[in-house]
Amino acid sequence: MKPYLALMKIDLKLALRLRMVIIFNYLFPLMFFFIYLAFMRVRQEPHRIYQVLAMVITMGVLGNGLFGAGMRAIQERETNILRRYKVTPITPAPLMVASMVTSWLIFMPYIIFVFVVSHYKYAMPWPSHLLEILVFISVGMVAFRGIGMVIASVANSMQEGQILVQICYVPMIFFSGATVPADVFPATMQFISNFIPATYLVRGIQNMLWQNQGLYAQRGLVGILLLAGILGATVAIKLFRWEKDEKIRTSAKLWVVAVLLPFLIFGIVKYQQQRKTTGQSNPGASKAEIKQVIRESSRS
Amino acid sequence: MNTDSVISVQKLQKRYADMEAVKGIDFEVQAGEVFGLLGPNGAGKTSTVEILEGLRPRSGGEARVLGFDPERQKQQLKDRIGVCLQATNLPAKIRVQEALDLFASFYTRSLSSEKLLHRLQLWDKRSAYYDTLSGGQKQRLALALALVNDPQVLFFDEPTTGLDPQIRLEIHSLIEEMRAENRTVVLTTHYIEEAERLCDRVAIIDEGKIVAMGTPRELQQKSRTQSHIQITCSEPVNQPLPPWPNAVDVALDESRRQLTAYSSRPAQTLFEIMRWMDQQNMQLEDVHLKKPTLEDVFVELTGKRLRD
Repeated sequence: MKPYLALMKIDLKLALRLRMVIIFNYLFPLMFFFIYLAFMRVRQEPHRIYQVLAMVITMGVLGNGLFGAGMRAIQERETNILRRYKVTPITPAPLMVASMVTSWLIFMPYIIFVFVVSHYKYAMPWPSHLLEILVFISVGMVAFRGIGMVIASVANSMQEGQILVQICYVPMIFFSGATVPADVFPATMQFISNFIPATYLVRGIQNMLWQNQGLYAQRGLVGILLLAGILGATVAIKLFRWEKDEKIRTSAKLWVVAVLLPFLIFGIVKYQQQRKTTGQSNPGASKAEIKQVIRESSRS
Repeated sequence: MNTDSVISVQKLQKRYADMEAVKGIDFEVQAGEVFGLLGPNGAGKTSTVEILEGLRPRSGGEARVLGFDPERQKQQLKDRIGVCLQATNLPAKIRVQEALDLFASFYTRSLSSEKLLHRLQLWDKRSAYYDTLSGGQKQRLALALALVNDPQVLFFDEPTTGLDPQIRLEIHSLIEEMRAENRTVVLTTHYIEEAERLCDRVAIIDEGKIVAMGTPRELQQKSRTQSHIQITCSEPVNQPLPPWPNAVDVALDESRRQLTAYSSRPAQTLFEIMRWMDQQNMQLEDVHLKKPTLEDVFVELTGKRLRD
């Protein structure tokens, strides 16, 4: 336990000493939060605050997991910092756990801050299950840090890591409904969104905010996110490399797919359920509906 | 395998893809000994020590450090040894004392960070960020981290490479202190003077094989390279040179003032030359005696220079 606590303590101290951590964990997300508030005209249409919260929280969790966990681990390997740890009796587990706990401690004040601002400045009523929402967001953080850690394990360089992170980040941002509401997606995009991990985070947050649902109602989503997080951490520990000279086989990059497998399976199940309910695949939004949303967006 | 050995290596092999870095080497290191692995870059020194430190798996042979198998009992071994790596780093914004406290938490036993900071002359820098330290201070911190668990065996992988002479001397003194404390030290280096000064025994490695092993003195004595005597006379030598016992390749330079002789028994040859000069009433201006160094031994055994 001693190494876990010591690593958490030092990780937290180091994070707070780095300007980049402050910029990427607080400054940028808050900037997006206020831009979205203005862009979505939340003052005029208060119900849109839920959509803004779901968007900025998802973006924050994705950034924290993919860039925070993934890129930082690659950087520490590339700069020979992990090599110094390699000669000590510790295993990769305390390093990963400490990084996860620290990022949670750093990220949570931002989440609480956006809720406080939404309540006091934008008259959002306190959600009935605020604590459960925070637990759900924490589960999301575990899942995306797991994916980030797997990316760090399979990337052989910073450049490769950047590419892999972007390959995961960009579709997740666009197809999950984090930036554009998923309801307006055409059928193909809605079908794809079922397989995007971030979709589950967005859906969960929206269900809990809009429909005042509790954590139990999200048990399926919690299960799949937790499974992805556990799978990610397990694979990351298995593939953990301490030194930049220890290159990984190209085929090992397929482990990223293994971590995304629960989402693939869940996506198929969800699609089948939709087919059964509607008698066909979800038709998605019509062209007219999409045009309407675009018109509204451009007006705002 | 000698039961008193702290480190025992038998037919150790390491292969990387189709390259054989270590080709079945054998050696033992006793408690309290400073053992040097001397060789040029790519000779297999680092691969050998990294196998012993539990950082790399071996491809063949046997190895034991403090009775542990470095491949199968990594964690137990790492808890008892100290390692100062060739290329390593710490987070830029970690303070010196924080780094020591952090690394101390990884081991079952540890020394007081205050004592280590004083010993390594880092006390005044204890609150400094790692990225503000000089090269020498960073290396001293690396040594402090290697000592944080009060290890019985220390591995120093080229600890003075790229450092200025002052820091190098400080590190040499520290290694001598380790020996005085009866700790076992394995040192890899390509600095001859470092090996000659610090090591009780040296193994010369070339192309993955140990080509010679012994005390620096034994290796120098075994060398076929002979001592080299150079005498400068005040006036040109016009007399024919007599056949001095044990002296070979005796020659005068163009000015006929500088006499060079090679000898397997330099003291006797020097005495004979001095006596002859005295008989001839010749005045001596300068005299140099150069014994073969480990570098000469290395060149003789491998045909290469150490820094090749």
